[in-house]
Amino acid sequence: MTFAHPLRFALAVVVAAAFVLLYRRLVQRKTRQDLAYSNLDFFVAAARPRRWVPQALAIAWSVGLLALAFALGGPRITAPVPVRDGAVFICIDTSGSMSAGDVVPTRAAAALEAARAFIEESTPGTRIGLIAFSSGASLIEPLSRDHARVVAALSDVPPPGGATAIGDALRLAASALPATGHRLVVLITDGVNNMGVDPQQVSQWLGTQHIPIYTVGIGTTAGALIPGSSDQATIDEPALRSYADASGGAYARAENAAQLRDALARLGRVTSFERKRVDATTGFTVAGIALLIATFFAGMGAGRFP
Amino acid sequence: MSRTSPSAGIRAALLSGKRRPRTAGGSPTMRRGDGYEFVELRAYVAGDDVRRIDWPASARAQELQTRVILEDVALTLAGVLDDTPSMQVGRRRPLARAGAEALAAWYAVAAADDRCVRVIGDAIHPRGAARGRASAAAALGASGRFDMMRSLNVARVALRPGAALLVASDCFDLSQDADALLLRLARRCDCTLLLARDPWYEGLPLSGLVRMRGAEGGTERAYIGGAERARYTEAVRVREEALLKRFASCGWRAGVLREEDGAASLAAAFGL
Repeated sequence: MTFAHPLRFALAVVVAAAFVLLYRRLVQRKTRQDLAYSNLDFFVAAARPRRWVPQALAIAWSVGLLALAFALGGPRITAPVPVRDGAVFICIDTSGSMSAGDVVPTRAAAALEAARAFIEESTPGTRIGLIAFSSGASLIEPLSRDHARVVAALSDVPPPGGATAIGDALRLAASALPATGHRLVVLITDGVNNMGVDPQQVSQWLGTQHIPIYTVGIGTTAGALIPGSSDQATIDEPALRSYADASGGAYARAENAAQLRDALARLGRVTSFERKRVDATTGFTVAGIALLIATFFAGMGAGRFP
Repeated sequence: MSRTSPSAGIRAALLSGKRRPRTAGGSPTMRRGDGYEFVELRAYVAGDDVRRIDWPASARAQELQTRVILEDVALTLAGVLDDTPSMQVGRRRPLARAGAEALAAWYAVAAADDRCVRVIGDAIHPRGAARGRASAAAALGASGRFDMMRSLNVARVALRPGAALLVASDCFDLSQDADALLLRLARRCDCTLLLARDPWYEGLPLSGLVRMRGAEGGTERAYIGGAERARYTEAVRVREEALLKRFASCGWRAGVLREEDGAASLAAAFGL
């Protein structure tokens, strides 16, 4: 947390501290005039008074004052705020290895279902686009705020076949994303790049542009045979993790369709927010005043203020 | 009713107390000594005071006869007044003031030959053999650092058998294992306790958030509601009853010291 007016905050803290000290002195002076009792130990044991009530009121009162002191300082905090005008490209791997059946029914079908979950969990207003890649990358749906249309476009994703050109897909996404704003790429693949430009280089470049890549690795550790061939479909986790790290994103692994759907749905919620520095003056002011008012009435209700 | 009536009643009770059962269930004890109340004649034995020889009776009986006389009716009135900070509280005035009134009424019982003393801590005041009003005034004016258990121990050792002892205290300083001492005191003296009634015996005048100051030190900030008030009232009543019962079972005459009137509290303890 930082303060727009640190001097004001310091002054407010000093004033609040002076107030508290003055109040304590007043209370001590008043205590001498309060009801005297023969033996306090007996009184406490006999009546078992609720000591926590005045303590709670004192704490609430202090916290309320502190909140107002914070408010005077113009606090700036980093907080997650809903993304406005965000842009997301979902890059779906349609290479031949995505036809492997280690993720039921197939990696490709699970990827499409997960992409649907991601779109549905995204904040309304977020622009979402769709890219499919195998030996090359093709734009299935440009950025659009109409999420239903993007979901419908999932049916246009071609069936698995061909090589894996992750770098090409990332480069296409980068070129189709706007120059500014909250932007990110969701890459759903099994991660074995074997064609096109080097995805590591593109990832690093995206990182410099503050466009994080969230990679979702799909497939089991054991892998499975690619139908109609003798090739084994595997997953290149280190590569996917390095793409994410290079761009400032994150990596998630899914071994089955449910995990994949959950991961993408969670990602949809996470990417709908961005951490921003925001002015919290109003929040602190409202909280401080509300707490002081509540303490005031609670104190009055308990018979004495504060 | 004049103030002398309770004094006379108390004096009479104390004098008859010289023959009262020393412990519950015991038989009255006739003390024989150098008083004036004649009891009987008996044959002279060596060592008898020759002034007690009844010559006409000796002549009639043809042998020396000695008059047996009850113990001297002069009283020793001892007082123990708790004036610690816990007795300096009260609704309208300190409890210690009511205690002082009770003590004054106690010493007012004294006749010319009676001796009044005050036990404070390790000392008995006044020293010497002053009697009557002079000793009462000196005892009332005595001061010192009060200590309940020390005072009781000193009273047990220093008071002559048959003395009358009044203790006015809230008994907060009475130790839990004092019963043996109380019993021994009751066997030796005619003991009366005036237990200071809690100023808020009828109910705490507090509700909500309160601050309390302990007479012995410390403060307490807490919330007092109906449940707390009820618990307190019950605890105060139970404590008072338990203490009165405890002293009575040790052979003490036990009564309540009310803040409003110490002298009346003393009279009430004697059933007057």
